[in-house]
Amino acid sequence: MARWGMVIDLSKCTGCQSCSVACKAENNVPHGSPEEHEKRQTPFWHKVIAVSSGEYPTVRIDLIPMPCMHCDDAPCVTVCPAKATYRREDGIVIQDFRRCIGCKYCIVACPYGARSFNYKEPDEEEYQRPDPPSERADRGIWPFPHRIHGVVEKCTFCFHRIDEAVKEGKKVGEEVVPACAEACPAHAIYFGDLDDAGSQVSRLLASRQWLRLREEMGTSPKVFYLTR
Amino acid sequence: MTTEFVALEGKTRGYRFLTAVLAVIAVAGFVSFIISYLQGHQLFGSNNVIPWGMPIVLTIYLIGLSAGSLILSSLTYVFGREKYRPIARMAVFLAIVLIFGAMLSIAIDLGRPEKFWRLFMFFYMNNMKSMFAINGILYGGYFIISLIYLGIIFSGSQRASRITGIIAVGWAVLVHMGTGAIFGFIAAREAWFSPVKPLEFLAAALTSGVALLIVAVTLTLVLSGRELKKDVVASLGRLLTYFIVILLILIIVDKLTHLYSPHREATLYMLTGQYSWMFWGLQIGLGVIIPLAILLTPKFNKKIGWVVAAAVSVVIGVFFERYYLVIPGAAYPQHYYPGKIEGVWGATGSFALTPAEMVLSVGIIAFLVFIFIMGLKYLELLPPREPAKEAVKEGEEEAEPADNTTDIGEGQQGNDEK
Repeated sequence: MARWGMVIDLSKCTGCQSCSVACKAENNVPHGSPEEHEKRQTPFWHKVIAVSSGEYPTVRIDLIPMPCMHCDDAPCVTVCPAKATYRREDGIVIQDFRRCIGCKYCIVACPYGARSFNYKEPDEEEYQRPDPPSERADRGIWPFPHRIHGVVEKCTFCFHRIDEAVKEGKKVGEEVVPACAEACPAHAIYFGDLDDAGSQVSRLLASRQWLRLREEMGTSPKVFYLTR
Repeated sequence: MTTEFVALEGKTRGYRFLTAVLAVIAVAGFVSFIISYLQGHQLFGSNNVIPWGMPIVLTIYLIGLSAGSLILSSLTYVFGREKYRPIARMAVFLAIVLIFGAMLSIAIDLGRPEKFWRLFMFFYMNNMKSMFAINGILYGGYFIISLIYLGIIFSGSQRASRITGIIAVGWAVLVHMGTGAIFGFIAAREAWFSPVKPLEFLAAALTSGVALLIVAVTLTLVLSGRELKKDVVASLGRLLTYFIVILLILIIVDKLTHLYSPHREATLYMLTGQYSWMFWGLQIGLGVIIPLAILLTPKFNKKIGWVVAAAVSVVIGVFFERYYLVIPGAAYPQHYYPGKIEGVWGATGSFALTPAEMVLSVGIIAFLVFIFIMGLKYLELLPPREPAKEAVKEGEEEAEPADNTTDIGEGQQGNDEK
């Protein structure tokens, strides 16, 4: 069984937010409004944070794209009382809306702020795709064309793409990648099997210096950052 | 030895007025819940930074009051302190009402309250590693055990009520430590992550439970024109003093542990940040310093009025301890990456108390008081009124049933401490 992971090259990232936009479009995440974003009530599956350090004139800005880290030892999986969030065999941490009771304990427990709560029933025009194409219908629990409020959602590593690619025998990581990796104009995001020593992600991790966010939490995330 | 218990008649204007007012507020709370259920939690102040709001504050507060109240009833039924017998039934009933309120608040806080039953599908649909699922067992069991306990107390069997009392109190301790573990086990939130939290919650539970019991007992007895024994209140006040001191020690230990290690930003924020007035003024000031000052002054700690004032102060102070933990405690931003996170992703969380949330919370409390005074009317919870004390009646709430011909002579008002 593969163990999917993502490698993000920080030296290539320009902070253009294409990944965030592509994620919203692909997964039909409601875009909300500026006021709601100010109140932090908009769902985001992917975000790009800008981190500054140092003082003028020696300021440094790091741009960190942050999807869900899909931790191997995920705190959200431990705390979810309803088994709504669980780790699949291929390492993807999934959120099942139908089981979620909306207790928000996972939002509290996530060290990466990767989870969002649906604070309202989104309006029709807030969706990128009000009516997903019908060929999507056979792709498991995705898509959720219309969300209900009161459940937690998060990045899925575009598992619908991966599952279909595996079924059709395509090469995940080369032919098929998550929407954020596909959209990145700088090709900064790589996706692939971490257990396969020959995959592009494994080769990158073997040849470059990398870091993972908040290692001290002991969550062993599967999103790796190649340092600048 | 046994004290007779009677029910309120509940026919005075004051009682009916109070019932009606509480019912109206409770209905307003229910309407507010239905609206928030249809519209979503956008009506609440919670957001993705501070995910939990007033319902969770209320939950842990009510559980604390409940566990404290139940543990006090054990003084009579387990340890045989006859002095507290007149108020022991009321304490058990209060505990049941409060745990019911706590479970109600949790259900209301869920995004999909209609799926609450999933919390009780133990081992089958539940992830038993979750503190919520474990607490589901603890709360549900606690509710059932308390009901059985009250039933056995009504049946009057000393031995059986002693045994159930021991079980109920042990379970109440577990309930409260479990609630503390919900917060204490979360490594991602620095201000919460602490092995002391379960003990701190237990201490806060005992403190607020005793305090609320003092207030509830005094109000009920005085308003229904019964005699209030000064030494009962004074000794409850002494008990309260010990609990406050223990709570204070645990708060200090918790904060010092966090301050000593270099991971101290979140705790510094708690102690000096934007909302720290709540910590110093309300949690420490009202919850610890004022009541301790009253209760440790020999002139005041024997007077009912002063002890009740201290108890009210504790009830408010511990409420803000919960509030401060749940809401500002989650506000400090997480450091995903070393440095200063710019913009909205690194901003300190803000929380606005919205009308829906306030009406909801007040509604829950009104509903609980409503159940409590209904229980006083339909269950035999109160000690009988002594005929000589007719004059004390304040008439706001209740008059005593005249037809209740209890043998006052036999009903030793619990004062005979052996």
